[in-house]
Order: sequence, then C-alpha cells, then structure tokens
Amino acid sequence: MKKQLPVLVILITGLLILTACNKGSNKDDPGKLNLYFTHLADGSTLEFDTLKYLNAAGNPYLVSEIQYFISDVTVYRDDGTAFLLDSGEDIHYVDTDLPDTWNYALPDDIEPGTYDSISFTFGINEEKNKSQLFVNPPESNMFWPELLNGGYHYMKLNGKWKSAGDTIRPFNFHMGIGQVYDTLTGVITDFVQNYFRVSLPASGFTIEPGKTVSFEVRMDVQQWFENPHVYDLNYWGGKMMQNQAALQTAKENGHNVFSVQKLLLE
Amino acid sequence: MSNDKRQKPVHPLLPPLAGGFILLAGLMLLFTTCQKHGPVDNVPAPTPYRIEIPYGFPTKLNIPVDNPMTVEGIELGRYLFYDGRLSGRTHPDSLMTCASCHRQERSFEAGVDHPDFPGGFPHGITGKPTHHVMLPMINLVWNQNGYGWSGFLYPDNPSEYFRNIEDFVRLAVEAPDEISGDTTRTRDLIQSIPGYPELFKKAFGSDKVTFRNIEKAIAQFVRTLISANSKFDKYMRGEVQLNQSELNGYVLFTTEEGADCFHCHGGFGNPLFTTHLFYNNGKDTVFTDPMDRFQVTGDPADHGAYKVTTLRNIELQGPYMHDGRFATLEEVIDLYSHNLKQSPYVSPLMHHVNDGGIQLTAGEKQDLLSFIKTLRDDDFLTNPAFAKPQSFPDEK
Ligand code: HEC
Ligand code: HEC
Ligand SMILES: [Cu+2]
Repeated sequence: MKKQLPVLVILITGLLILTACNKGSNKDDPGKLNLYFTHLADGSTLEFDTLKYLNAAGNPYLVSEIQYFISDVTVYRDDGTAFLLDSGEDIHYVDTDLPDTWNYALPDDIEPGTYDSISFTFGINEEKNKSQLFVNPPESNMFWPELLNGGYHYMKLNGKWKSAGDTIRPFNFHMGIGQVYDTLTGVITDFVQNYFRVSLPASGFTIEPGKTVSFEVRMDVQQWFENPHVYDLNYWGGKMMQNQAALQTAKENGHNVFSVQKLLLE
Repeated sequence: MSNDKRQKPVHPLLPPLAGGFILLAGLMLLFTTCQKHGPVDNVPAPTPYRIEIPYGFPTKLNIPVDNPMTVEGIELGRYLFYDGRLSGRTHPDSLMTCASCHRQERSFEAGVDHPDFPGGFPHGITGKPTHHVMLPMINLVWNQNGYGWSGFLYPDNPSEYFRNIEDFVRLAVEAPDEISGDTTRTRDLIQSIPGYPELFKKAFGSDKVTFRNIEKAIAQFVRTLISANSKFDKYMRGEVQLNQSELNGYVLFTTEEGADCFHCHGGFGNPLFTTHLFYNNGKDTVFTDPMDRFQVTGDPADHGAYKVTTLRNIELQGPYMHDGRFATLEEVIDLYSHNLKQSPYVSPLMHHVNDGGIQLTAGEKQDLLSFIKTLRDDDFLTNPAFAKPQSFPDEK
C-alpha cells in the first residue's frame, strides 16, 4: 500500500522514457502491454487489517493480505483473432505486501492496431501447474500440497470476520486444485482443476507503433463473496482447500472480481 | 500486512536513487584511480566458491555483491568462527566466539544441554542473558527477508549497518549480552596472531587485517552451512520411503484439514521449511516484547510476530520459540493442538485458533512428531567442513 506512489512514479517515468525514445518509430514497430494491479473494496482502495467491510452475506470482515497468480494473458483483435502473450513471463504473481509484484510489464511484442479486449487465466492451467515450477520465494511459498495434487495456490486471501456471537475468526480463502473424496473411505479419487478464464470488460485498446498501453487491473474484493453466489463465511467457515463445493462457489464468483481502467499517461 | 517491512521511510525511493548515482560515480572514479596504481605485490586471486543448489531449493542466494564467496575466505572465516580470540582477549576465561553459542552438533544453536547455558538460555561473557534464545545457522544463504527473530537485518534496509550476516558479526562482537568486545581490539589482536595476516592476504589481497574483512570471512563461512540431506530430502529425491507414522505425519503437516503447518513452515514445494516471514502464532494475549516484528515495521498488526523458524533439525534446537518457553517438541505440538490463544494480532493463517488449536489425538501427535524428526540431517551435524579446525593458524 504505502509504496504505491513511488512505483507509479517509476512506472510513469519508464513509460515516458519509452515514449520519448520511440519518437522516430516505424509504422510497423510493435507495441507493449502493461498491467498494474490494484485492490479495492466498496469502490475505494482496500485498507488492510481493519474490520471495516461488510460482505453480501452481512459478515463484517478485514483483509490482511492477498497473493495470487494470473497467467496466459490474451488480447483479441477486432476480427476475433486471439494473441496469447506467452513469449516471456507467462505467469505473474501479485502480492499486496510486495510492491514489486504489482506491475506486470508483458515482454511480448504486440502488432499495432485495434484490439477488442483482454482476457487472462486466474490461477495457472493444468499443464503448467506442476510442483517445482517455482523454486524461489515469494512464488514458491504458494505451493499446493503434494497430496492435493501439488502445484500452486491460485490465490491466498487471508483475513478475519466477525461471526455469529461477535467472535472474530480467521479465514483463509485459498483457491487451487480441488479434490473428490470417496464418501465412505475418505480417500481422494479425483482432482478438479479450478482455474478459470477472466474476460476483462471494456478492455479495448489501440496499439500505436512502438508504444505501450497501460491498464490498471482492479480486483474488487467484495465480489468474491457476492456474485452470483452470496458466500457466507458463517456457512463455509474459515478454510476451503479441501472443500470442492466452496472452491466451486469461489470460482464462479471470480468471473466478476476484475475490471480495468486505462491509465492515461500522456 | 505483517510482512511489509518497507513502509517505514516516507519517501524511500528517490533519495536512495540519487545516492545510488553518486555512489556509482564515486565507485567508477575509485576504479580508475585504483587501476593506475595497481597492486604493490602480486597476490593470486582467491578461488571462487560456488554453492551447489540442492534438489528443490531456491536458486536465488542472499550474497552481498561486495562479498563474493571464495575458498580462502571461507577457510579464514571458519578459523575466526571457532577462535575465542575473536573477543579481542587472550585470557582463557575471557575467550568467546560464535561457536561458544552456535554449536554444530546442535544445529548451530546452544542446545538445551549446553554446558555453560543451562536449559539452552545463553548469556554473554559478562553473564548478561541474551534478549531472545538462539536461532540456528542452517541454510541462511536462502533467507532474503531478514535475520534475527524480528528480521531487523534485511538487504534493503536504509541503514547500511543492518543488512546481512556480516553485520551480525559486528553486533555479536560488540553486544554486552554476547561477546562484549570492541572491534578495534579484536582487529588488532587478530593482526598480531602469527598465521592470520597471511590468511587475510590470501582471502582479501592484503595482510592488513580490517574488521570489515573479519565480518566478510565469517559471513562467507556461515553461508556454507547448508542442510539438504535429511531423511525427508532423500524421500523428496525418491531415494528412501517414509514409514507409516512419518507418512501420516506428513499428511497432517501439509493439509489444511490436518495440522496445517505448511503454510508457514513449508514442505515439498518449499524445502527450506520456513517462509522466513513473520507471524504471531497465537501463544499469548498480551505483547510487551520491545524486540518483536512491530519494532521493525511499526505496523500494529505485527505485535507479537516473529520469524517463522525452519523446522530442519528442529529436534536439536530447543528450547523453543523466541523466548525459549518450551523445552520439548511435545510441548510445542500441544500448543498448536490445544493451547492457542486468540488476540487481535494472531495471524489469520492460524485458522484453528478459536478452537484452541488443531485438536490432534495422541496418535496424531506422535505421527506429526515422527514426520518432524525426518527433518534431522546427521550429515549436516557431523560435516567435518563445518567443524572446529584441528588447529589454529598460529599452532601450525
Ligand atoms: C552469547 C551467545 C552468542 C554468540 C557468542 C553469538 N551468537 Fe549469534 N545468535 C545468538 C542469539 C541469542 C541469536 C538470536 C538473536 C535474536 O534475538 O534475534 C543469534 C542469532 C544469530 C544469527 C541470525 C540467524 C537467523 O536465522 O536470523 C546470526 C547470523 C548469528 N547469530 C551469527 C553469529 C555470529 C557470526 C557470531 C560470531 C561473530 C555469533 N552469532 C555469536 C547468540 C549468540
Ligand atoms: C501462522 C504461521 C504458523 C503456522 C501455521 C505454524 N507455525 Fe510454527 N512457528 C511460527 C512462528 C512465527 C514461530 C516462531 C514464534 C516465536 O518464536 O515466538 C513458530 C515456531 C515453531 C516452532 C519452534 C521453532 C524454534 O526454533 O523455536 C516449532 C517446533 C513449530 N513452530 C512447529 C509448528 C508445527 C508443528 C505447526 C503445525 C501444527 C506449526 N508450527 C504451524 C509460525 C507458524
Ligand atoms: Cu492454503
């Protein structure tokens, strides 16, 4: 939170330099896409560790930190052609405690022209989500237990809520690969991939030769608990890693948590 | 927010950037100047030392750019680590060095059976007890987040004297509750001991001993203290199988519905068995320690938070917790099982706190313990390269 300003300053300076250097650029020079992640609740910047939010189920809650992966960013031309931006860093980690992770400068070259929209995977797809993909922290701290199919959490959203009887309880809204249990033996019989694609509404843009287009990508934390399902922490409790029904509900709510805002830098 | 230590300075970026430029310019000047004069006599360059990354371990190492590891530096560091004259004193009763407290056979902690520190509560040469109990020296080269229980030494600390293991050397030599010495006296004494100046020359190109080079050599040695050959490591590499109780314990350790230790203490995907992050793990309701994580970040959420310690070799590293309140691992497991306390500061990851803990049965406790004991690495505890040298430089 506290470092947002300097990061933006650097971002803007960087972009200015980029633009400045590209004055004499060619008509066909590729452009770039840049995503900057922010976190909101009730329409304004999320404040951490204060019990000031009320979710759709009426649970008063606070958020301590949010850590998550987004991957396989794809841009779509107006003619429907899709371009998967995976030539470089194709999985990006965002951590509300680590300002360095808030900006995602996609290394991919993007053809000049008009684009309709942007989409990405929330989490990591089945093919890539394997153990030891990341050996270095902070990403490695996201590992998902071997016994639950390995790989990585898609997200850890940690906080506390005031439950019935006014007791404060911790919740770990941890999304990742789900499991199917044999009802009699309790043995795991199958795994469920819970990653999903997010299409960003109103994310059309134009790439001019040699220029970078920058978007602020906003996660509205309230949406995780709201739409289409009301996620009542009193009902689901504080954990979900081994509860596919809870994971499924969270997954379905995840389609509406992100929105974008083009950053106007010139 | 408990891991954001970067919030303290108001405008942390711009002045350091400017400072960086000045430093850079200065360094370049220095370079050119130095090259003109050249070394007076030819000292062969020290031999670079490369850390081999064990299976599954991070590839990013915390080695400051101005202290690259060399075979000669490590050799010198090992002597100093074990030489009681690091205290700057020669009387047999007044010797003290790192190894006086950090013992290899106790995973470089004091251990509950330390001959001079009953129960494993160390004190300095003057008898003053240390503020907290020991931390081990295992795999420290992979810690990017902060040394000490509160993480007060971290790489991007605005204060250049509080950044890394090098600084711990100075702090240990000066601290009244540790060696209670004086860096100049230490430097002068080491300079006067036959054999040492030659070793400094081999390691750092000059036989003039500086305290900075003492710090560098010891830090290099400490960075070689790597543990990656426990039974669990062998299991990860597919070389051995765990027994049934250990496997049950592994399941408990790494599942949310089980004992849920892995979010903080690691596992297959994080073989350091710590995230090196800082949490309040629910031991108390009142927090008055002036040297907790709050002291470093100023974030009220960090009251009573300390660094998650590695569970590698943990069975040898009692007494447990920053204040050494538990003598045995059984007591620690009882804490997490039944004795947790709710407070506004407890980490949300302690999601069982309202029930007092994870409610393990006696059998489950035994299994969890069996698993934790697979993290003991006997090769590390007996590795001759980490042990006290046969003789010191002046005894050769
Ligand atoms: C009097 C006993 C004593 C002596 C002597 C001593 N230490 Fe320590 N050391 C400790 C204690 C106690 C801690 C835990 C400090 C804290 O409160 O954070 C510690 C912690 C450390 C740590 C931090 C480890 C981590 O995981 O963060 C390092 C590094 C360290 N010592 C290095 C040294 C070095 C190098 C020397 C010799 C120059 C030395 N120590 C001498 C008692 C001692
Ligand atoms: C929320 C994070 C968290 C979780 C979950 C957690 N721990 Fe810890 N653990 C810590 C922290 C932080 C410390 C150091 C606290 C202190 O010294 O005051 C610690 C200390 C310990 C110690 C003592 C280490 C030492 O060097 O003294 C042991 C043993 C331990 N934990 C075992 C476990 C086990 C077993 C579990 C699962 C039942 C577990 N922990 C779950 C954060 C956690
Ligand atoms: Cu989790």
